[in-house]
Amino acid sequence: MSTATGYNFAYLDEQSKRMIRRAILKGVAIPGYQVPFGGREMPLPHGWGTGGMQVTASVIGEADKLKVIDQGADDTTNAVSIRRFFAHTAGVETTEQTAEATLIQTRHRIPERPLKANQILIYQVPIPEPLRFIEPRESETRKMHALSEYGAMQVKLYEDVARFGHIATSYDYPVMVNNRYMMDPSPIPKFDNPKMSMMPALQLFGAGFEKRIYAVPPFTRVESLDFDDHPFEVQSWEEACAICGSDHSFLDEVITDDNGSKMFVCSDTDYCGDRVAQGFVGSAADLPIAEMETEQ
Amino acid sequence: MPVSSHELIAGFAEPVAASQQVFRAALKVMSEPGTLVETDYVEQAPKGLDLSTWQLALSLLDPDTRVWLSPTLAANDAVISNLRFHCQCPLVDAPKEADFAIALHNELPDLAELNWGTAEYPDRSTTLLVQVPGLNSAPFWTLSGPGIEQTRTLSIAGLPETFCADLIKSRQRFPLGIDIFWCCGNRLTALPRTTAIKAGMTEPSQNDKETC
Amino acid sequence: MYVAVKGGEKAIDNAHALMRTQRRGDSAIAELSVDQIRQQLPLAVDRIMNEGSVYDPELAALALKQASGDAVEAIFLLRAYRTTLPRFGYSEPLDTEQMQVERRISGTFKDLPGGQILGSTYDYTHRLLDFSLLASGEAEVAPKEANALSEALAAGNSCPRVLELLNKEGLIEQSRENGEGDQTPRDLTREPIDYPAERGVRLQNLIRGDEGFLLSLSYASMRGYGDSHPFSGEMRTGCVSVELVPEELGFPIEVGEVLLTESEMVNQFQGSKDHPPQFTRGYGIAFGRAERKAMSVALVERALRADELGEEVLYPTQDQEFVLPHTDCVSANGFVSHLKLPHYVDFQSELEMIRRLRKEQRAGDEGMIEKEQEADV
Repeated sequence: MSTATGYNFAYLDEQSKRMIRRAILKGVAIPGYQVPFGGREMPLPHGWGTGGMQVTASVIGEADKLKVIDQGADDTTNAVSIRRFFAHTAGVETTEQTAEATLIQTRHRIPERPLKANQILIYQVPIPEPLRFIEPRESETRKMHALSEYGAMQVKLYEDVARFGHIATSYDYPVMVNNRYMMDPSPIPKFDNPKMSMMPALQLFGAGFEKRIYAVPPFTRVESLDFDDHPFEVQSWEEACAICGSDHSFLDEVITDDNGSKMFVCSDTDYCGDRVAQGFVGSAADLPIAEMETEQ
Repeated sequence: MPVSSHELIAGFAEPVAASQQVFRAALKVMSEPGTLVETDYVEQAPKGLDLSTWQLALSLLDPDTRVWLSPTLAANDAVISNLRFHCQCPLVDAPKEADFAIALHNELPDLAELNWGTAEYPDRSTTLLVQVPGLNSAPFWTLSGPGIEQTRTLSIAGLPETFCADLIKSRQRFPLGIDIFWCCGNRLTALPRTTAIKAGMTEPSQNDKETC
Repeated sequence: MYVAVKGGEKAIDNAHALMRTQRRGDSAIAELSVDQIRQQLPLAVDRIMNEGSVYDPELAALALKQASGDAVEAIFLLRAYRTTLPRFGYSEPLDTEQMQVERRISGTFKDLPGGQILGSTYDYTHRLLDFSLLASGEAEVAPKEANALSEALAAGNSCPRVLELLNKEGLIEQSRENGEGDQTPRDLTREPIDYPAERGVRLQNLIRGDEGFLLSLSYASMRGYGDSHPFSGEMRTGCVSVELVPEELGFPIEVGEVLLTESEMVNQFQGSKDHPPQFTRGYGIAFGRAERKAMSVALVERALRADELGEEVLYPTQDQEFVLPHTDCVSANGFVSHLKLPHYVDFQSELEMIRRLRKEQRAGDEGMIEKEQEADV
């Protein structure tokens, strides 16, 4: 097994890992509650996934298969960088296939393929406090959570309804976990929110700078906030993926020329590739761009 | 009490890998309450501790965790010497001050004596490790809550009735509460404070084949 | 376009190779050694040590070289290295009265026991570019007598702190009650901060904080955004020995010495029902010759004591939940720079939302027009 010399397995020292592990266990026992932990300095900047990395470093073992995605894709620069970090410091096997992975570290997406029992999804979280933009003071938000005092968020969302006719939050959309704690799902699109509820996999969240860890155990109810007359709904597209033809996945818009022409493609590259392998085709299947895609 | 070197036994043969594996077992049972797992990363435990209790201690305890031991364990030189030597955890006299409490099934502290955390910091609570004579999935308790799709059954032998009643009642105080690891031989499960417990009619058996 | 994000691994390797080439600059010019940086850019090295929270001039100089002179990047390098270091123990509190003073300035007393010692400073230099440095001329060497200390200090006597002189009359607050022992401060790098944070934690946080941010905040606190009217009671620089009590020995042994700059500010205080009018203190300390940092810390530290001294908290400079989490240059830089990471999923969500809202608004407007037209008929 090849690991970086001079550093412990998965970079963090054992005492730091134990401290993080104990925080994770408390997080699991109190779903949606943000456990403060002694966040360590990581060799990547805050905001680039240090919280998720500390959780991954504390959870990962030699038998794990790690997948890292950013924006749903395995090949975005930050995903590549973090995957390399663990391949280098822990010597673990990595994969791009959602179904094969035991650990998936993610920034901003939940994979399209439903996750299974015994998989762990680890979210990178920039700002873990769902109430932060309503009340910037930690001492206040802590009281609000203690008292389940979440009226201010309902007011904010209702102001959207009054102004726009909709709740105008499209990502980082707040949820209630197990009917008790309001939780920030990290900046995933609200499209992904329903996947969090009753998921068979364990979901762990790490915020590096804010030094918070939280969790949603498998089969736990996660509800997106809404109103009786304005129920929660997810994004939908009139277009389908230009590569695999999917009409049910989250699509990224890609500008294809100077005139602003655009096409839509799956943000989840593994899911898209799988569909192409199964013979699904999209409208751009005969364009060179799609061929280059499948070659990779 | 100083460390008695003649009582010392080996810890994990491969501490980094074994700590991680035992933590993953702990994470599995804490996130899927009532699931039974077996951990086999040590040959032996200090006399008086079960294999699973000892492995949890090696994996989770260190100088930053205050530990309370139930009376028999607190008087056991092998237990204390090995905890001191391998984990370097400070031992405390009052269960309320403990981050972790390790107790035998027949000398459990009152739940009220442990630290339940506060409304603002419910995580600052005692985690209890209980060593029991029998642990299996016979239908005695019916469990539900986060980590359990519908219901799961669990049978724990040797628990005093008042403790069971207090535990069931403690769920009303969520998010305050006590998270418990149950240890028997090399077998392990957990019940976090979120797990609702419905008591069954019959007494759990210690002689059940499935008993550890 | 879509293909452009592929091959991230190769792109990253190339970017790092280019960065290394750029750092080296023109290879016809001699490479800068770490020793040269340490010896000739010591003030830059001191800043890296302070915010990197490691007293190691050689590693700080290495970090500065590796970071192409970017202080924030160098601090980050040192911090990431620091995390991995084992902790052997905690030193005894440093006694700065025993400092071997090389510079000492009081703004409150013209003369004082131990004397004013100007030492080495940029103060009073006229900021005129010295073109002889451009011509790589040899620097002038200071005459021996320039370094003369007062007789008492030269004899190795300790140098009492100025503010303790005020203390004899009870004119200044005590930094702790009589007979109160040293409290073991919590370690900010191992435990998360709880608000409100106690003074020891606040000071730790500020000392690791970005020099520019603290300088500006202290400036603001003196310009009306804070009720601060400070005097520099004393500012001193020099070496202090560091002692450690090893478990097996049970008594302190000297493990080395550190160069420190310490600043004590005196501030007005009106007094309250419980306290007679007296001066209050603001305290700052920093590694190396870091006067700007030590003074800024002392000023901001004092502003943050508003709450505990019963002053009204009116300005961000007095608000610890504003100041403390935003001082750290590594965190601030990380969060600002993370905007360079892809955000197209979230942006796509916003695009979808804004298109939908506009479409509905248009439909609504058209509906209104139709209704108006119907009404006209």
